[in-house]
Amino acid sequence: MAKLDILHFPDKRLRTKAVNIITIDDKLRRFIDDMYETMYDAPGIGLAATQVNFHKRLIVIDISEDKDEPLCLINPVITHKDGVEIMQEGCLSVPGFYENVERAEHITVNALNQQGEAFELTAEGLLAVCIQHEIDHLDGKLFVDYLSPLKRNRIRKKLIQMDKELAQQVKQPSSTL
Amino acid sequence: MKNKAPRSARETAVVVICAVLKQGKSLTDALSITEELEARERAFCHELCYGTLRWHDRLNGILKLLLKKTFKPKDLDITVLALVGLYQIIYLSTPDHAAVSETVNLCRNGKKSWAKGVLNGVLRNFLRNRESLEKTVDENLNLRTSHPNWLIQELTKNWGKKVIDILDANNQYPPMSIRVNQKKTSRSTYLKQLEGSGISAIENPFNSVGLTLDHSVNVDQLPDFWQGASSVQDGAAQLAATLLDIKDGQHILDVCAAPGGKTAHILEAAPSTVSLLAIDIDENRNQRVIENLQRLQLNADVMTVDGLEPNEWFDGKTFDRILLDAPCSATGVIRRHPDIKLLRKASDIPALIKLQHDLLNTIWPLLSKNGVLLYATCSILSSENSQQISAFMREHADSKEVKITAEWGQPCEHGQQILPGDNNMDGFYYACLTKI
Repeated sequence: MAKLDILHFPDKRLRTKAVNIITIDDKLRRFIDDMYETMYDAPGIGLAATQVNFHKRLIVIDISEDKDEPLCLINPVITHKDGVEIMQEGCLSVPGFYENVERAEHITVNALNQQGEAFELTAEGLLAVCIQHEIDHLDGKLFVDYLSPLKRNRIRKKLIQMDKELAQQVKQPSSTL
Repeated sequence: MKNKAPRSARETAVVVICAVLKQGKSLTDALSITEELEARERAFCHELCYGTLRWHDRLNGILKLLLKKTFKPKDLDITVLALVGLYQIIYLSTPDHAAVSETVNLCRNGKKSWAKGVLNGVLRNFLRNRESLEKTVDENLNLRTSHPNWLIQELTKNWGKKVIDILDANNQYPPMSIRVNQKKTSRSTYLKQLEGSGISAIENPFNSVGLTLDHSVNVDQLPDFWQGASSVQDGAAQLAATLLDIKDGQHILDVCAAPGGKTAHILEAAPSTVSLLAIDIDENRNQRVIENLQRLQLNADVMTVDGLEPNEWFDGKTFDRILLDAPCSATGVIRRHPDIKLLRKASDIPALIKLQHDLLNTIWPLLSKNGVLLYATCSILSSENSQQISAFMREHADSKEVKITAEWGQPCEHGQQILPGDNNMDGFYYACLTKI
């Protein structure tokens, strides 16, 4: 298993629209394992393939306290939404920022599992919010898109600065030794 | 997606206090979630939790005067938020405006934003009428001292006029006391080491291993703590090992041993020829006994068993010494566990008395002739202490009390009682019995 690199906003690649997965084979399943490892390590409760620069419709989720309820959705489609839920969201591609986002409170999703079998799932609360957040990624959308342009720009600038500093640290690893 | 921002100290305090008030969790257990906070935030969060619970009834009395209608039970978090805000204004040096704005800000987002205005109004009204509000609640002894009425009555029955001193002592910050591991080092050497690390302490006058620190520190700051040089233990609990008067080769039983402070002290003080069996019914707490013994490099048999069912664990070899640190109301350690004032109910006491009685009766046959049983509680209720021993002695003709002659505490009809704050110690009770 290997940990994957997570793209950070405002990286343009996060705006790519992902395409459906046709074949579900061992190679893909190995990739799914890597996505789980990346998500648990971050730590996060959901990760979309888009975030690790793989532009196919695939997400992994685990909202459980003990990290023992993994959920993988391939080619997910929301077939029903209702209600309103406002929750504070954060994102592994927007590290350090948390803002309130309004989403549907209940959803129904159709998807395939790792074996390629179709299933239907109804979700509410945090799980519903998380699924909507991850499917947005597959469509090239981020939670910051729901914020005011002022807030979004502030986050953009701070993250560009942060990534620049990080890159410099990586470039000169021995300077502090 | 990432789940929610890391919680602030104030936000965490509200969650902790709600867990105590709503689910009846002990404060010590509820505080485990503060491990995710960074050290300074965690210390502030602990201060808010201990302080708000210590003064809960008084703060709640003030809050009731400020509200036309109290908040609904489902909005307990808002009530607690108001109490934490009041606590900061009254007892901490938080600037008034910061206490108000930080409190209000916590419900700015999400479903509870309706409470913003009410909380702002409540705290500002308090600032305007502070003196008269505090005066009004302080006319009521229960509110002034933040103790439930049943406990005040019970303590008055036991201690008469001393009750006010006891209630006030219960609301003091407890000192941090430690016990030096005499198998590793001496108190004077350790005291020098402490001073070398900038920690000042005074010697416990009643034994040769105790130190009371001027200020609490994190155990990581104690010299060689993780190598077993010292342990955190109140001065009152440090008296048990001496009272047991252990001799070469003796077989010792420690009943209700967890978390193992006294167990370890016995082994530190005893010759290495003794054998000790430590039992406790709680597996998780017993884990602490094992960890403590490992850290201090001491050996004992530790078993997770029920003290009331000796046929499941007793091998027939009677004990020369038994320490029975019985489950009790913990009314002597309220200064360390202010949640006791809120969680303990008058109706809990008879069940505790019965349990103590049953334990004494069950364990007594395991004591050798001429052996010594030390009965200990951190209670200051006579019904769990002197009266308990009195009843036991009436039922057991082969028991005789060994009078404790000590410079600490005060003699009761049977046994010796330390009241909270006596010589800066926790409230504690000891009685020594021998088999004739």
